[in-house]
Amino acid sequence: MSAGPERHGTRLRPGPLSFIFDGRRYTGQAGDTAASALLASGVRLLGRSVKYRRARGLFSAGFEEPNALLTVGVRPSVIPNVPASQLVLSEGMVLRSQNRWPTLGFDLASLLQAGGGFFGAGFYYKTFIWPSWRTYEPLVRHLAGLGEAPRACQLPPVAIEHLHCDVLIAGAGPAGLAAARAAARAGARVVLCESEPACGGELEFEPGMIEGRSAAAWVAMTLAELATLGARVLVSTTVVTDDSGEFIAHAEPGGLPGRNTVYHIRPHAMVMAAGAIERPIVFCNNDRPGVMLLGAAERYLARYGAQVGQEAVLFANHDRVYAAAQRLLAGGLRVRAIVDTRAADAPGTDSEVQRLRESLVRSGVECLSAHAVIGAEGGRAVRAARIAPLAGAGARTGRRISCDTILVSGGWSPALNAGLHGSDARRFAPAVGAFVAGSQTDWRRYAGSANGHFDLAAVLQDGHGAGARAAAHAGARGSAGAHPQGSGDAPPRLAPFARSPATGPAEKRQFIDLQNDVTVADLRTALAEGFIDIEHVKRYTTLGIGTEQGRSSTVVGGAILAELKGETLAAVGTSRSRPPYHPVTMQSIAGFHVGAAVKVARRTPLHDWHATHGGMLEPMGLWMRPRYYLASGANPFDAAVAEARRVRAHGGIADGSTLGKLEIAGPDAAAFLDFLYLSKASTIRVGRSKYMVNLREDGCVLDDGLVLRLAHDRFIATTSSGHGTHMLAHFEYYRATDWAGHRVSVTDVTEAWAAIVVAGPHSRAALSQVLGAPWQGRLSQLAHMDFADGQFGGQDLRVLRASFSGELAVELHCRPAMAVPLWEALICAGLEPYGLEALDILRLEKGYLVSSELNGQTTPLDLGMESLVRQGNPCLGRELLDRPAFHEASRPRLVGLRAADGRAQFLAGAQLTTEAAPAQPCGYVTSSAYSPTLGEWLGLALVARDCVSERALLTARDPLRGSDTPVRVVSAVHFDPSSERMKT
Amino acid sequence: MTRIACPFCGPRELREFEFHKTLPTPGAQGAFARTYERVADPALSVEHWQHVAGCRAWLLVHRNPSTGVVFAVELAGEVMP
Repeated sequence: MSAGPERHGTRLRPGPLSFIFDGRRYTGQAGDTAASALLASGVRLLGRSVKYRRARGLFSAGFEEPNALLTVGVRPSVIPNVPASQLVLSEGMVLRSQNRWPTLGFDLASLLQAGGGFFGAGFYYKTFIWPSWRTYEPLVRHLAGLGEAPRACQLPPVAIEHLHCDVLIAGAGPAGLAAARAAARAGARVVLCESEPACGGELEFEPGMIEGRSAAAWVAMTLAELATLGARVLVSTTVVTDDSGEFIAHAEPGGLPGRNTVYHIRPHAMVMAAGAIERPIVFCNNDRPGVMLLGAAERYLARYGAQVGQEAVLFANHDRVYAAAQRLLAGGLRVRAIVDTRAADAPGTDSEVQRLRESLVRSGVECLSAHAVIGAEGGRAVRAARIAPLAGAGARTGRRISCDTILVSGGWSPALNAGLHGSDARRFAPAVGAFVAGSQTDWRRYAGSANGHFDLAAVLQDGHGAGARAAAHAGARGSAGAHPQGSGDAPPRLAPFARSPATGPAEKRQFIDLQNDVTVADLRTALAEGFIDIEHVKRYTTLGIGTEQGRSSTVVGGAILAELKGETLAAVGTSRSRPPYHPVTMQSIAGFHVGAAVKVARRTPLHDWHATHGGMLEPMGLWMRPRYYLASGANPFDAAVAEARRVRAHGGIADGSTLGKLEIAGPDAAAFLDFLYLSKASTIRVGRSKYMVNLREDGCVLDDGLVLRLAHDRFIATTSSGHGTHMLAHFEYYRATDWAGHRVSVTDVTEAWAAIVVAGPHSRAALSQVLGAPWQGRLSQLAHMDFADGQFGGQDLRVLRASFSGELAVELHCRPAMAVPLWEALICAGLEPYGLEALDILRLEKGYLVSSELNGQTTPLDLGMESLVRQGNPCLGRELLDRPAFHEASRPRLVGLRAADGRAQFLAGAQLTTEAAPAQPCGYVTSSAYSPTLGEWLGLALVARDCVSERALLTARDPLRGSDTPVRVVSAVHFDPSSERMKT
Repeated sequence: MTRIACPFCGPRELREFEFHKTLPTPGAQGAFARTYERVADPALSVEHWQHVAGCRAWLLVHRNPSTGVVFAVELAGEVMP
């Protein structure tokens, strides 16, 4: 399409821009939105509705736009559901209409409505039930949904900026600007967010005088003053959520999600001055392209010099329509008629409005009172409006006025924005015909038209007052000065009117929610079927769902529901919208937390060695740990079996650095540990260690580990790798509460020590060779559970003789810098690394708890630790262990399992049953592994005590993996029950 | 506005803190009561929180669980018996 004559508007700059819409090239002007450029090019059909595929055009000039949603970009990296009214064009932009197939002009699914009538409320629930929903799902899915999801994302990561300020103001219309100025003058740090690319709000097109200046000059002057006062003004930025006072504002330069910044704003006080959203009046076929909000026509004209049509009929229920008509007329639109629902002799008629009306009549505009537009004629575009008096003769049929545009205005609903998401109460304001905030709090105030004021003088005063109060609440002590004086359009004098009279069949074409094709007939159906509450009606009919969240439809919907129920709108209310206030891409929420940066990874000092030597690293909590090494075998099973076999036959080394290590020090350290552990720490001799178990306050086992006594008043408690951070908090909690005032400290030294496990019959020889002469004598003197401190390579080294494999083994605790040299020296001495899988096999062979046995539900009695309990240490959780329920026969008991035939495989998670009760599980397999040493599958299981007897035969049932394996209960210690190997 | 004023660090965001538990009924006797009998008052809840992503102090937080308004914050140990 060729460019028309150059247009003039507040948002336009000279210079053409070309763009593609549905495969055709169009020309717009710099500063244009997709909506204004398409309007100026004469394109009226911009999309089809989601359910009935009815032709739809532009309806609004804001992001309340329900119809004209576009998909931007080229597959696969597309952005769907961008309102044409918000999308600022850039050269070469590629746009597509939505909800049409194969083309916008000819849509196959739209034939459905021509043939079979409309799908009413609950259509899907009622229709697709035989034989089952799945029969219909593929077809319905093809037709359903709003827009097309991107298959790839080629956008750069979104920046997240954190802002701290005294006062956050949402909206830079007259109220927001007055509030910002008042707060900034008082000395507050101000952040002002405006959704539109320019400030001013209504002042952009409603001529008014403020402080002796034109409105435009006042806006410019105020912005200049805000800049000198250090206020931050963010345009194209919408406050989308309020998370208990932490606001998330979403900046979309150009109205395009994806090229954005997300601001997390923490203000001390907040002013919501987001204005009001014009609401339509519902009439038959009010969804046709050409039916549009009155304010939208004014905005397109003032901002972009774009005409919404040639000939218009205006339909409203308030006085503002006359001033608007005059401006539109002056702008070149032929206004055929103004249809006012109010009676001509309504009390309080403003004399100025009367004069305006008379002058419009002289210009050839037909002014009708107590009339309504009862229908629009035309298919893909409006051809005429049908007008009827609200009472008397002709009320049913009406007469026809030909036009291509019907501009409708039913009043304005205060934009409660993010405040709507929370539990804030809303109050019905009769003069406004809509809801305002139920209460104003010190830290969040609504102001201006968002607070139900529609007279410019009152709006400015309200905004100024809210800004000054917010600043004072935030602690600013300066003076906000006097509030700005101004005068603008006459007050609206609105008489609530939600829909025109209609017959039953016409109600099926009275659209309340354009985005979701919800009609008056749907509300009737919902009521008839028992959905009475507005929130139920919303869910049943889909009124107010979708990207638009009912911005233009919830108040009208509530009013019509009230009419159908015979109640007041105040009683019916409106449904709540859900956050965010407008759609935000998942990418914006994620920010930089994508890919490898999704979460923190803790790496051991040996991480790089593992990675470069075939260690298959996997996350375990936040830690990355080697599962097995590729050199040992090609798959996890073969590798783990080979590594475990090698440790038993010869030896191996493993990275144990992830074990949690807490240093407990102070004169009361021993007593403190006695309180936290089931057995006593105070009886450990210096230089010795002990296997200990922690209980939770309810008596269940929390964790296990070794406690080393370094000195009389100093211990190291090790925790399992996954529980490290939790155990630190647990120790800190009791130190801060029950043990407050005692002389004991808790320090996390996990990352101050690397740990290398050296295990196997040849481990001592290798170790002697690596540690050299100073250690040789000491190594042989170390008894089981002894440790010795010394040096290696000039740095601290602790050698702890402890074994979790059942082999002769030590743990070497060294400084992180020494980990790699020590590890490589051990490799040179003939030891090879083994991973977590092999470690689990070795543990299981010895009956050591692997991890799923400590599931937070097992007590030490369940786990066979009676001897520890019998020591009678009055520790945390000990008292509740005596509860009778913990001693019942149904409590689980830790046992060993082997396949009855000595060969079959059974896996962790399998349910165990007895022969007597084959359908009633008496326990389950907690861990299982193939033991290369014993040549068969071994397991640990938790089994009800009354089903446990030596050699009892159970069945391990694993229906998900399709096996039933007879298993035998055996001792949990499968290998070397007397522990000779590790103690000699 | 849900911020918790840590006695050491000053007002910080909720995300830096971790909830631990609601305190038992005052005067609860015995391990069972202390473990399981918690106050469930919609207007006032006295709770232990930890400033996990800050100074790691354990805090006693008095707040309204219905509105999220925090009334008072003190160090946990100072009021414990």
